Amino acid sequence: MSESLLSIKNLSVEFKTELGKVNALNEVSFDVPRNSITAVVGESGSGKSVTSNAILRLLPDTAQISGEIILNPQGEDPLNITSLDERDPRMQNLRGGLVSMVFQEPMTALSPVHRIGDQVAEAVLCHRDVSPEVAMAEAATMLEQVGLTEVDKKIRMYPFEFSGGMRQRVVIAMALICHPQLLICDEPTTALDVTIQAEILVLIKSLQRKLNNSVLFITHDLGVVAQIADRVVVMYDGQVMESGSVRQVLKNPQHPYTRHLLASIPGAVTDSGSQLHAANWSDGAPIGAGTFLADAEEGRQVREFSQ
Amino acid sequence: MSEILTVTDLCKSFSDQPVVNSVSFGVRESTTLGIVGESGSGKTTLVRSILRAIDPDSGTVRYNSRKGWQDLHSLSPKELLPLRREIQMIFQDPFASLNPRMTVQAILEEPLIIHGIGDKESRKQRVAAMLEKVQLEPSSASRFPHAFSGGQRQRIGIARALILEPRLVICDESVSALDVSVQAQILDLLASLQSELGLTYLFVAHDLRVVREFCDEVLVMYAGNVVEQGPVEEVFNNPQHDYTRLLLSAIPSPDPDEKLEPLARDGLQLEKV
Ligand SMILES: Nc1ncnc2c1ncn2[C@@H]1O[C@H](COP(=O)(O)OP(=O)(O)OP(=O)(O)O)[C@@H](O)[C@H]1O
Ligand SMILES: Nc1ncnc2c1ncn2[C@@H]1O[C@H](COP(=O)(O)OP(=O)(O)OP(=O)(O)O)[C@@H](O)[C@H]1O
Ligand SMILES: [Mg+2]
Ligand SMILES: [Mg+2]
Repeated sequence: MSESLLSIKNLSVEFKTELGKVNALNEVSFDVPRNSITAVVGESGSGKSVTSNAILRLLPDTAQISGEIILNPQGEDPLNITSLDERDPRMQNLRGGLVSMVFQEPMTALSPVHRIGDQVAEAVLCHRDVSPEVAMAEAATMLEQVGLTEVDKKIRMYPFEFSGGMRQRVVIAMALICHPQLLICDEPTTALDVTIQAEILVLIKSLQRKLNNSVLFITHDLGVVAQIADRVVVMYDGQVMESGSVRQVLKNPQHPYTRHLLASIPGAVTDSGSQLHAANWSDGAPIGAGTFLADAEEGRQVREFSQ
Repeated sequence: MSEILTVTDLCKSFSDQPVVNSVSFGVRESTTLGIVGESGSGKTTLVRSILRAIDPDSGTVRYNSRKGWQDLHSLSPKELLPLRREIQMIFQDPFASLNPRMTVQAILEEPLIIHGIGDKESRKQRVAAMLEKVQLEPSSASRFPHAFSGGQRQRIGIARALILEPRLVICDESVSALDVSVQAQILDLLASLQSELGLTYLFVAHDLRVVREFCDEVLVMYAGNVVEQGPVEEVFNNPQHDYTRLLLSAIPSPDPDEKLEPLARDGLQLEKV
């Protein structure tokens, strides 16, 4: 079992449009090792979502795909995703059981006419053989874990009654509750404020450790990458620019685009490519630059206040 | 500078739960007011009540239009229409706000047609110029929303709001899904429109780094209440409220050696990493 859980080899994707072909991915290759979190970063339109949609075979018919995507699930035969037939029974296993995904736009993943609790419980029932009561109880627990309060009431509400960040957390709960071997998160925290983002990142990471699975985490925030990922893949214009351990890539970026990304973090000091204290822009405020309130007394105050 | 928008004692409850609790603030012309706050604290409800996309329970919203002060909540829909050209909103969920069956050309042209602006040819030119401003290729015009990336779709929403050359733009998490380099370009665009045309922005965001760079004043919401309000530098350098402090301390650093150590809040069972 030395191979990676997921191996993408020379993946190219072209879309046919009225105005000719759009080349979205160009010979993309990278691996997602077992028991680890791999982040994909890159500019808007660089091909991050096309890559993750290709793994779940969710690209439209207008897409022409070449290359290989190999999944090596624990205790099962390897799966060559790109050559799998749509009617192959393993397809169902792939989409529901082995791999689950948090989509970039939460509303597209939620049904407007079903209650929140039923939708999350449904995700449990699809993949595991438990009673509806158990599924609903698990759903409630997971919704609590992603930071929703008054869950008893919330499970009876509909998506339109939720705020943007609450919807995003429901979608995260639906993906986490399936215990997939590969969890793909496409910008899962863009609609969340930093305090909740931090909690979700910790939750994803601790579940990853508990379940020993792997996460492919798409984001445009290098701060998030530094906090959650073990490895990082940098994409630009449909190609992989560089990849390696987070430390290697963020501390010593080789590619000019990576340096540019680091430099364009709002508030970053741009005169040096390796300026990593970008978030430390304040002198007065207790900016933790990644740490929550360091001071225990302050922490206690905030805790009391949030009750 | 005089105020362009004055909100007084705005209240909104959903099934007896107050979601926006007697919120008051003013925005000066040609400035940017940031609104930050926890998820679920009422930011979207607040800004949607301004244009009556949501009907508030009480409170007033007064807007200083080209024709003088108007009470937005006492106008009839017909009286409101010309003001909708002056006040535009960019939504949080770009996909849900774009009609999937319309091409980008039609999406961007629609507001111009509704407000009777230009002829077919000049509208086409305006659409092309707007696409260039939000850094989308000219060929995007003939494509449908599904054929774009998330960030590209968000830029279509931004283009649609700006094409009418509004005076007040309400942005609800409008740059959150953009990577930093495109985000910086869009913020530059918004800032240059502000200095060129004197635009005013109401800017809901959760990225405090962006708020600090882009906004003049900031309003911090917590559980439906405004807990802190003032010039950005003042609030961020000397936060008075615990939630503001918590927000400032939770920004992830791009340095892998500085690890997040989140504080478990009430109702959360988190294990330390
Ligand atoms: N169905 C489609 N038809 C034509 N072009 C498409 C289609 N889907 C995506 N594209 C194009 O492929 C490129 C890559 O898109 P992708 O969604 O992977 O970007 P992304 O890296 O996820 O960006 P973002 O950060 O904005 O979400 C974009 O230029 C996009 O316009
Ligand atoms: N139509 C509705 N019916 C019932 N409750 C609603 C409705 N719309 C919003 N709410 C509730 O009002 C509260 C505030 O929601 P709102 O969308 O204003 O939050 P927000 O500050 O924009 O959060 P986010 O940052 O997550 O987008 C939430 O608890 C939400 O559940
Ligand atoms: Mg994307
Ligand atoms: Mg909102």
